[in-house]
Amino acid sequence: MAKIGLIFNGVWSHYAMATAPKYRDLYRLLYVHDLDTNAMSDLDALAIPFQSNQAVLTEKKAIIYDFLRAGKKVFLEGDSSTAWLDAQWEDRPVNNYWWVTDPTHPPVSDTNYNHPVYQGLSPRQACWHTHGVYTRVPTSAEILQTNDLGDVITWQTHEYGGTLLATTLDPIVEHGVQQITHLDNYVDRLTAWLSGVQPVPERMTIDTTVYGEGALV
Amino acid sequence: MLQALLISNGLVGLNKYYVSNELVQYTTCLITKDFNPDLTPYDLLVVPNGSDHVAMLKIKNHVRAFLDAGKALVCCDGFFTAWVPGNQWVMDNSRRTQDVRYAAGTDRHGLLQNLDLDELNFSHGMSGWWACGYIQAAPDADVLLADTWQRPIAVLDEVSTAGRMLLTASGPLVDVTYAGLSDSALVTLYRNFIWLLSTSIVPAHG
Repeated sequence: MAKIGLIFNGVWSHYAMATAPKYRDLYRLLYVHDLDTNAMSDLDALAIPFQSNQAVLTEKKAIIYDFLRAGKKVFLEGDSSTAWLDAQWEDRPVNNYWWVTDPTHPPVSDTNYNHPVYQGLSPRQACWHTHGVYTRVPTSAEILQTNDLGDVITWQTHEYGGTLLATTLDPIVEHGVQQITHLDNYVDRLTAWLSGVQPVPERMTIDTTVYGEGALV
Repeated sequence: MLQALLISNGLVGLNKYYVSNELVQYTTCLITKDFNPDLTPYDLLVVPNGSDHVAMLKIKNHVRAFLDAGKALVCCDGFFTAWVPGNQWVMDNSRRTQDVRYAAGTDRHGLLQNLDLDELNFSHGMSGWWACGYIQAAPDADVLLADTWQRPIAVLDEVSTAGRMLLTASGPLVDVTYAGLSDSALVTLYRNFIWLLSTSIVPAHG
């Protein structure tokens, strides 16, 4: 039974991850334009991936904060908008080749490995690349990852009732893209933290029958 | 000048990658809950990387009619729903990205002209960065680029409808020139298609 709602705006990488046999029993795709409280009342957590439609998320912000007020978890990755989040995200050039050209300078320089999502991860598994930084976060926020300039990459707050974890990493999108081979580690930790269920420790696979006429939409 | 409708999923920065120029005038259509654009004023429909393929499925019949009127489609994204006539993208992760290399196939219109394939094969020495999965191409469509395992990655389809489709297996294409820099492969392939649309009609209509 699904425990995590993946807010989804029809992007293929979101779909690839959520419909992969390894994760599909734990994630429910929630099409953002149809998002309402009833569709997620039985869920423990929400995931809002990179490449989301920020304008529609702003329209639906009350649903997200009501979910947090119920003591549940929300995970937000990539960019965000101050129109619905009390934090300032700013764009930065993406460096996804640092491990080739300058492997001693990853985009994240400090990580709190005591957080359940990061426990047991290697530095390489805890950061592949970032999409921007946070230059302002809520005063209640606990900082979990920063870059070598001190910019915030990952933060968490309990201010809204449940737990909001925000990062400029993009584990859901990149795991769907499947060009980074170590992401099962991060996404499995994230999934276990969000749902309380540990995914099977094996590499993500694709079910081609859910593409085309068999698409689950 | 071509009139193009650029479908926007509300992602940051899309309009920086499709800039109106002497060949194309872009009009952006933001996807909403009631997405149902009037395609008739346009010559070209552009569905870029990061698009909403649930929304596109809702207008599949309109897209089909648009193409049957001799118009054109660029879809450079993973079209996981069945809205593109005759062709289907599927994700696949059974091959190692480090083994991915693209090879030129049938190119009757010179769409690969001046294209440096190594720009698609490698980025900072990494391979497998451009496209994901592959296209189940329509029989008799032109496979412009195939991957190491001969799977279609870029397709020109002039047979499934009365129009033209340029499809990639999620490999992004863009229409922007940066001052002082030569066009990248992502621009070259796209603009070669735009040039084809601007200078010739679909053979079926000849």
